[in-house]
Amino acid sequence: MWNTYRALRANGVIGINERNVKYVNALNPRKLLVRVDDKLVTKDLAAPAGIPTPELYGVIRDARDMKRLTEFIDHPDGFVIKPAQGSQGKGIIVVDGPLKGGWRLSSGRRIDLEAMKFQINNMLSGMYSLGGQPDKALIEYRVKFDDVFGKVSYRGVPDIRVIVLKGIPVFAMLRLPTAESDGKANLHKGGVGAGLSIATGVTMRAMQHDQFIEFHPDTAHPLENIQTPYWDDILLMAAKSYEVTGLGYIGVDVVLDRDKGPMLLELNARPGISIQIANRRGLRFVLEGAMALADTPRSPEERVALAKTLAR
Amino acid sequence: MKIKIGHAAMLGLALVAAGVAVLLIKATVLHYPLTPGVRTTLWDFELYIEFDGRNQPARIEAYLPANDVERAFPQEQFYNGSFGLSLVGEPATRNRKAVWTYRYPANRKVLRYAVQTLGETQSTPLPLAFRESGPETIPAEADPVKRQAFIVWSGNLRQRSADNRSFADLAIADTFGDRTDREQYADEIAALLDRATGDVGRLELVRQLLRSQGVPARIAGGVYLAEARRRVELHRWLEYHIDGEDFRYFPDGAPSRFFTIWYGSKPLIDASGVDNLEMQIALSGRETAAADIAENAPGPAGTFGRAFGFSGLPLTTQLVYQVLVTIPVGIALLVFLRQFVGFNTLGTFMPVLIGIAFRETALLNGVLLFSLLVALGLGLRFYLERLHLLLVPRLAVVLIFIVMAMAGFAILMTGANQAIGLSISLFPMVILTMTIERMSIVWEENSASEAIKQGVGSLIAAAITYLAMTNDLVEHLMYQFPELLLVLMGLCVLMGRYTGLRLSELWRFKALSS
Repeated sequence: MWNTYRALRANGVIGINERNVKYVNALNPRKLLVRVDDKLVTKDLAAPAGIPTPELYGVIRDARDMKRLTEFIDHPDGFVIKPAQGSQGKGIIVVDGPLKGGWRLSSGRRIDLEAMKFQINNMLSGMYSLGGQPDKALIEYRVKFDDVFGKVSYRGVPDIRVIVLKGIPVFAMLRLPTAESDGKANLHKGGVGAGLSIATGVTMRAMQHDQFIEFHPDTAHPLENIQTPYWDDILLMAAKSYEVTGLGYIGVDVVLDRDKGPMLLELNARPGISIQIANRRGLRFVLEGAMALADTPRSPEERVALAKTLAR
Repeated sequence: MKIKIGHAAMLGLALVAAGVAVLLIKATVLHYPLTPGVRTTLWDFELYIEFDGRNQPARIEAYLPANDVERAFPQEQFYNGSFGLSLVGEPATRNRKAVWTYRYPANRKVLRYAVQTLGETQSTPLPLAFRESGPETIPAEADPVKRQAFIVWSGNLRQRSADNRSFADLAIADTFGDRTDREQYADEIAALLDRATGDVGRLELVRQLLRSQGVPARIAGGVYLAEARRRVELHRWLEYHIDGEDFRYFPDGAPSRFFTIWYGSKPLIDASGVDNLEMQIALSGRETAAADIAENAPGPAGTFGRAFGFSGLPLTTQLVYQVLVTIPVGIALLVFLRQFVGFNTLGTFMPVLIGIAFRETALLNGVLLFSLLVALGLGLRFYLERLHLLLVPRLAVVLIFIVMAMAGFAILMTGANQAIGLSISLFPMVILTMTIERMSIVWEENSASEAIKQGVGSLIAAAITYLAMTNDLVEHLMYQFPELLLVLMGLCVLMGRYTGLRLSELWRFKALSS
């Protein structure tokens, strides 16, 4: 056991404790957290900075807004309803389109208006928000995901997670939904994580359930050597998120839309540490390397260039 | 396991050090017992003086146990009758004297002094001031023959001994031992001692011999705390100090516990103007919890102890704190389980609250009850899911259901003659409701196995904290030494800066360990 501990430390693997003490608590001032915890605030901040986000169809704050629900969701090619302060993808409804007087969910099930209103009410009452405080429900554009990852995804939308330390993208992975994860890209639900080279945006190695894998469990397609399109744009979006939020340690979640290119989905002030398994290396050395360089002010473009040299 | 010595670490260590320091003072100086159930005998010491008045000015002087910083008595009682009492201190000998006076006493009079004491033992240290006693003119004898004999004898003892210690041993052996083996200088001893010389005279002789070598020595008088008796004999012994070590020589055989009343070779009582003086010392022992005695200790030391204790509170409040102070033990343990082991629990401190509830139900019943209530609640919660209720009303329905289920159990169990029926009512229903709600969300959002894993994890954590909080030693230590709260706080601060991996993360990242 002690040997495992030593080996993990030697490989630079950081645990939740270290992430919290040295990065989350030290670099993310509490009063700024609302910028990432509330997706509506994130959206409002991202747009002026030139970070594209999915188009907002409407916001439901209370029962009066609820009357306008049918108007907000009048999009035949689908929409997404999500709690503004939800975390880990909890409570999100992804609707593909109309189905027999109701709607078809991305999971294939059907949902009617009443069930949808119930879900939204749950969101408003704070069922999915941190600490259970009252929340808002956002209705927005459903991302039509890029086919580039089609062979390594099972339903749902793959997304790209970039860990950004003081504006320098340090680690990245591609998160792929599986049958087990029910179309969600969350790793703890059984999604696949594939490490991405910061320098090139090519997938390297992959994991599921904290174990190394080489093929997608549902499509059996090899997970290595897939080039992420728009890689430089994604890195730049991630780097700009630092100016937008002021938070020194964030996870930037980006989705690739078939037509609109990369879009910022959400920011996370407490990004998970499983990304280390996907990349088959610990975070510590690159984090400490970036920390040492982060004090000089640089433009987002300079930081992307710096990130690429750091990764080599 | 790198621990950075930063602000937090300093604070944590300071808190731990402060708590431990107070604990050590209380344990060593004030003799607070470190284990539960320690009992000590507290002795009631009473001195009676009876005499006939002669219708002329009477003056009775008696040595009383010194009531000073090193040895203080909380409950001294004087019964003076019509006599005037003055207490006189003698700084040189550290004695205290009671002087009772009356102008024209007639017929039989009684004076009484009572005190409670734990007494002293062989290991009770002699006071610092005594160890550094100043010089004294030795020998004190005025008679030139005796003076000469003393000088020859002490010179001889010095020759035969290697150091002060062996000198003292020889001096005691010569004075109290057999006469046959010291024929060489029998004359000198004979000049100083004869068969009529009592213990006090002999002790005084040894004292002077020791003083002649610069060894601090004194005669002490007091009683042996051996058994409860109406009439207790007075004993005399010698106390001396050589090279940082304390010695006591008891001519009557060493007692395990004794009580020093006065120092010097003078008698305990000195009276003038009275007839038929009778003195009687009575002793009776009482078994008392050592903690009670420590709590009631007098003087600044006792005040210090009480400042870090609950003995000043009303009894009912004390009982509350008896339970309350153990909760931080559970909390600190939970912090450890979460930060070092990586336990995943439903709600941050929920397991501790469940653990507190187990206090009423005992462990096995508590675990069964908890599981049963959560299972029932989950069943209801899944049914309510279909009704599409709003969050707060739904929580309320679950809570009311929990109360009903608990009441049902109570009625059932009372019928079956089970004590569990009564204890159940204190189960924290709000905690249960929140547990059910959280578990059902985890159940839906993640998976049933994850929900059960977290539920079982919480239950195990609750059981561990319960066992820790109800441990006799923990209860005793936390109640007698609330300063341990500082230690727990410090430990939590230190754990708050732990940046190493958790035990669970060793498994999680096992793939990366090669």
